[in-house]
Amino acid sequence: MPTEVTMPKLSPTMESGVIAQWLVKVGDTIKEGDVLADIETDKATMQMKSYDDGIIVHIDHPAGDEVALGQRVMVLAKKGEDPKQVAAGLGLGGGQAAAPSKAGGDEVKPAVAASGSTGATTSGNGQQEQEVAEPPFEAHGDRLKASPLARKMAESSQLDLNRIRGTGPGGRIIRRDIEAYLSGSPVQAPAPVPAATAAETATPPASTPAQAPVIRPATPPAPAAPTAPVARPTAAAVPLAAQRIPHSRMRKTIAQRMLQAKQTAPEIHVTVEIRVDKMVAIREDLNRQLAAENIKLSLGDFVTKAVAIALRRHPGLNASYEPDAIVRHREINIGIAVALDEGLIVPVLHRADTLGLAEIRRQSEALAVAARSKQLTTEQLTGSTFTISNLGMFGIHQFDAILNLPEVGILAVAAAERRPVVEGDKLVPGTVLAVTLTADHRAVDGAMAADFVRTIKRLLEEPAMMLL
Amino acid sequence: MPLISYREALNQAMTEEMERDDRVFIMGEEVAQYDGAYKVSQGMLKKFGARRVIDTPISEEGFAGIGIGAAMAGLRPVIEFMTFSFSLVAIDQIVNNAANMRYMSGGQFAVPIVFRGSSGMAGCLAATHSHRLEAWYAHIPGLTVMMPATPADAKGMLKSAIRSDDPVIFMEHEVLYPERGEVPAGEHLVPIGKADIKRPGSDVTLITYSRSLKTTLAAATQLADEGISAEVIDLRTIRPLDLDTLLHSIIKTHRAVIIEEDWPYCGVGAGIADRVTQRVFDELDAPIRRVATKDAPVPYNRALEDSMLPSVPRIVAAVHDVVYR
Repeated sequence: MPTEVTMPKLSPTMESGVIAQWLVKVGDTIKEGDVLADIETDKATMQMKSYDDGIIVHIDHPAGDEVALGQRVMVLAKKGEDPKQVAAGLGLGGGQAAAPSKAGGDEVKPAVAASGSTGATTSGNGQQEQEVAEPPFEAHGDRLKASPLARKMAESSQLDLNRIRGTGPGGRIIRRDIEAYLSGSPVQAPAPVPAATAAETATPPASTPAQAPVIRPATPPAPAAPTAPVARPTAAAVPLAAQRIPHSRMRKTIAQRMLQAKQTAPEIHVTVEIRVDKMVAIREDLNRQLAAENIKLSLGDFVTKAVAIALRRHPGLNASYEPDAIVRHREINIGIAVALDEGLIVPVLHRADTLGLAEIRRQSEALAVAARSKQLTTEQLTGSTFTISNLGMFGIHQFDAILNLPEVGILAVAAAERRPVVEGDKLVPGTVLAVTLTADHRAVDGAMAADFVRTIKRLLEEPAMMLL
Repeated sequence: MPLISYREALNQAMTEEMERDDRVFIMGEEVAQYDGAYKVSQGMLKKFGARRVIDTPISEEGFAGIGIGAAMAGLRPVIEFMTFSFSLVAIDQIVNNAANMRYMSGGQFAVPIVFRGSSGMAGCLAATHSHRLEAWYAHIPGLTVMMPATPADAKGMLKSAIRSDDPVIFMEHEVLYPERGEVPAGEHLVPIGKADIKRPGSDVTLITYSRSLKTTLAAATQLADEGISAEVIDLRTIRPLDLDTLLHSIIKTHRAVIIEEDWPYCGVGAGIADRVTQRVFDELDAPIRRVATKDAPVPYNRALEDSMLPSVPRIVAAVHDVVYR
């Protein structure tokens, strides 16, 4: 009985995973613990490891496919089984049906079209003299094949190549397939012979700049930077096509969770302004002493510390709202939002209330580095009980954050600003930091919220209080 | 325009350049008394005398080296190899001295020399006399490699080669010597490093040079009958490569086939395919295909030799592959 390997649960909330990259191929012998693929989950890119030994006889999905939890991704021949026989047994379609089909969402693409196109085949020109006598090189898996030009055309016309049928060798999508798709009359396979004039002089749709590449061969084609327009039209009359960026897993997750928070949680916001002159002085002092250890505390680290202490005193804010109860957490685990090019992620500082400032700095930095290199572990991504979002580095005066459900509070930290402050009857220069708490009013009432931020204000205005 | 042969066009080029510049002289086996093994230097001994048209013993390495020395001393020699197959015994002089002298002397010596002669698979010359060495020489920084395919180009390219201040490998093709074509009388220069579109087209770019141009043009005619419009580019200069002309064509046609009389592995077409792919990968709708001579020693038997060469059916088949028809 061959082993069927299915999409594992790599994050607590994942319902499906995208195969970012296969690290093995059909024919490979694998052992338990071998890394099979990189899987993009809703949280991060994780390694999918094998729990079995065997020889890979079939891979169900090419890289790029989204696969529901529990759905089969590959089949292994066990020791003693003949891989060829196992593969032959699969070819009849029984294997696919046998796989548990627990499709998690309607976004999950169907398995690669079962059109019988298994891998590379010989060119369709059997009657022609083969210029290269070598046998065709067998590519593994059912990777989508498209010529470079077809890919470029598809991108500029915002087409999903998965929806286009390739009529080139081995199912390769070629220019005529894109043109046919755009014109609404798919090429008839096999061996289509479109009249030369029809195929070549058909007026390309205006949205297909690929037809008129603006290339100066003296200089290399400009790399398509994700944020820059792909081509620079020379004539002002050419319409500038918008760039379409398909949602990444992270973007989908952000969108879904932000919307959910806004739709379900009645939020209140309380803002407090904090004099941080003492804290700034202490920070400078500490940093001088910590210079040898190469540690540089940020104002944010003080806020993290203060929040952790405040949460210990206000357990109602270190909580989750559930339909039938409010759950007050014993652990104080602070999620720290980290901005990435492709979105944001919230790694977790566990037991933050037990950490000193230096340790908060070290761990926060390690989390940020891991987040940017997509190396966060499941542990580092889960379990937060309260979240801090800090935009101080952008010079933001004040802002509101959206709840990270099921947590009941999130603190938005703005920039520490030098400004005139009333002290007694005098106007003096001072450093002021605004923080805004967003709280879920289902669990946190206004007075509770205000009391909590007042504690934070006291701790940060008199940092020595944090020693107590 | 006068209709003359490729052979006569080369003779015209050398004669005009020798009349123009007293430093130009020709040297090689049988170039003087016998009027050239392929009669390219016909009448030149009579016209210019033994001082400038010099017969040598069978000693390619020797007279290649003498030519390089003469060039370093300020003359502009044209060294004829009876065939480039024989240049293999002189390759140390060509590669180590001619190609590298300017560099190794820190610019103190230029080597304005032309090595010219027949080359290629010309019928029943067998394995050792049928060499196509363009890839060998085009591999070497410091050398210019030119291969004319028509009488007009033969004249204009050889005149430019003689005027070049750096060594030029000028490979003629034995089967082209009797080919006739219109050739401008008098001053006619074809620039070094400029390819020529011999037939415009829109569906596929056919890149070729030297004798294969004829076969390629014949294939293009046949393809036109099928409704496939092929653009035929004659490289003319193999090194430096006129990449711009190739890229302009390929971003129009999106497909390319390279036709060369040389063997496939590490051939000129391999280098071209690499450079094209690096630059315009996203413009390609198909892999670049190559039609080259079959990868084996060249046999004496004429039928077998013919079967190895790029042929119209082989070119047409390769084009069908890249246009997916």
